[in-house]
Amino acid sequence: MSKLIQIKLENFTAFAYLDQTLSQGVNVLIGVNGTGKTHLLKILYAACSITVGEDAEKGFGQKLRNVFNPYEGRIGRLSRRDSKSANTKIIITRSGGSKIAANFSNHTKSSDAKISGELRWQKEKLISAYIPVKEILAHAPGFLSTVSKREIAFEEIYVDIIKSAFLPKLMGPIDQYRSKLLHALQEAIDGKVIIKGEYFFLKNKQGDLEFTLLSEGVRKLALIWLLIQNGTLLSGSILFWDEPEANLNPALMGKVVEVILELQRQGVQVFLTTHNYVLLKEFDLRKKINDKIQYISLFRDEFDAVSAKSTEDYLSINPNAIAGTFDDIYDQELKRSLAGI
Amino acid sequence: MPIIIEKDIQINLPNYVIVRRFDDESTHCLSHCMKAVDYIIEMADRIVFLEIKDPDNPNATHKDRNKFFKELHSGTIDNNLKTKFRDSFLYEWACGRTTKPIHFWFLIGAENLDSGQLVRRTESLKIQLPINGPGGKPWRNAFVVDCEVMNLSAWNRQLLNFPAKRIST
Repeated sequence: MSKLIQIKLENFTAFAYLDQTLSQGVNVLIGVNGTGKTHLLKILYAACSITVGEDAEKGFGQKLRNVFNPYEGRIGRLSRRDSKSANTKIIITRSGGSKIAANFSNHTKSSDAKISGELRWQKEKLISAYIPVKEILAHAPGFLSTVSKREIAFEEIYVDIIKSAFLPKLMGPIDQYRSKLLHALQEAIDGKVIIKGEYFFLKNKQGDLEFTLLSEGVRKLALIWLLIQNGTLLSGSILFWDEPEANLNPALMGKVVEVILELQRQGVQVFLTTHNYVLLKEFDLRKKINDKIQYISLFRDEFDAVSAKSTEDYLSINPNAIAGTFDDIYDQELKRSLAGI
Repeated sequence: MPIIIEKDIQINLPNYVIVRRFDDESTHCLSHCMKAVDYIIEMADRIVFLEIKDPDNPNATHKDRNKFFKELHSGTIDNNLKTKFRDSFLYEWACGRTTKPIHFWFLIGAENLDSGQLVRRTESLKIQLPINGPGGKPWRNAFVVDCEVMNLSAWNRQLLNFPAKRIST
C-alpha cells in the first residue's frame, strides 16, 4: 500500500506557498490557532477518501468542498484571501509517484475545481479515517438519515467517521498486534464497544452504558477501538486525528501515544494536530529507535502567510508554540520569585 | 568579584553580594549530623541558599548522570533537597544569621530540561520544603520565601548580574 509523501499548496486558505515532505510514519502538526493544521489534515483526508466507496464518484473537488463546507458550497472561498485574484493549487504525491492536483481561483463557484491525475490516483485504495476534534458518536442516532435528507451545516468528516464506526467487525481471527492494541484500549476505557441499531454502548461490568453517559475522552478512545476492531486501521491505512488530547485526561495521554506509535509500527500512516505539551512530550519519551516521527511546525511569516519547518528531533522543533507557552509560564514564575535582583 | 566554581560551572557574582561555601567540612564541622546546601549568598534584601548539581559535566559518569535524572524525574531528589535546606536553615538560625528572608535556588547543569519540566520540579520542591504553612496559608515566620529550579539557560535569562557558564566550553 502506498503512503502520502508530499503536499504542495499555493494560495490555499492561510498558505501562500507550502512544499512539505511527509513522514510515512507519524506526522505531528503543531502551531498556534489559525496556522492551518486542520486544513492540511482535511486536504490529505479528502485525497485519500476519494479512492474508496461512494466518495470515489464525488471526486477530489467535491470531496474537498464537503470536508471544508465553505459558505454556499463555493470552493473558491478556500483560496487565500488577498487583495488580488488568487490562483490556488494543491498537489499531493504518494509513494509510487502518482499525484493528484486541484486548481481553482477565488472566483470558482461550486466544486468546479480543475482536477488532474484523479483516474490514476484512484486506482489504488487508501483506506483512511478522520477523527475530528468534536466527538460525534454519541449523536449518531438519526444523524446519518438526517444528513441524507436535509442540508445541515456539518462538515462531511463527521458523517464519514460515523459511517466508519458502524462498519462491522473484520472477519477472521484477530492478529496479535490488533489484539494487543484492543486490550490496551479496553483497559483505558474499562470495557468494549457494542452497537445496537444506531446506538453505541460501552459494555463493562456495570452493564451497557450509552455513549451519552461517557466522557468525551473515553468516547474518543472507544472510537479508536472500533476502528481497529473493524479493520479500518490496518497496515497501509491512514489515520487523521485532530487534537487527540481534546477532552482527554492527561493521565491517558501516554496510552494514546503508545497506541499511535504501535499503529505506526504496524504500517499505519498517521497525521495528528496538537496543542498539548504532554502529548508532544510523550512522543519524545516513548519513541523507539525505529519509529518514524516528523514534527511539522506551522507559523506565520513576516508576510502573515503560513510557513512550515519540520524535524525528526523533538528538541529541534522551531518554532515550538507549545513549549513556547511553557517558557512564558516558567519565566513568569522565575520573575515573580526573583523580582528585585 | 566573587566567583563560584562548582564542578564544570562557574558563576560570576556582583560585588554587592557576600558568598560563602557552606558545604565545607572544615568550616561547617557538623556534616556528620546535618546536611548542607552548597553555598549561601547574602544580598541587601535576602539570603539565598544555593544548591548546584551538574549532570552535564563532561567528567560525570554515565551511571551518575542516569542516577541523577532518575531521582530528579521521580521527585525523590526533593527529599534530599528539603533536608539540605532545613538543616542549613536550622544551622544558620542557631548561629543567629537568619536575619533576612531566605530563598532557595537549585541550579541544574542540564540543558535537556525544558520549561515544562522545570516548572513541575519547582512546584514540587515548593510543596516539599514547604513554602506555605498549614492549610496552604503563609507561615507566620516563613523559613523560606520562595524557591526556584533552574538550568543554566533559565539562570542566565533571569539573573543578568550573576552570569553562569560551563567552564569546559
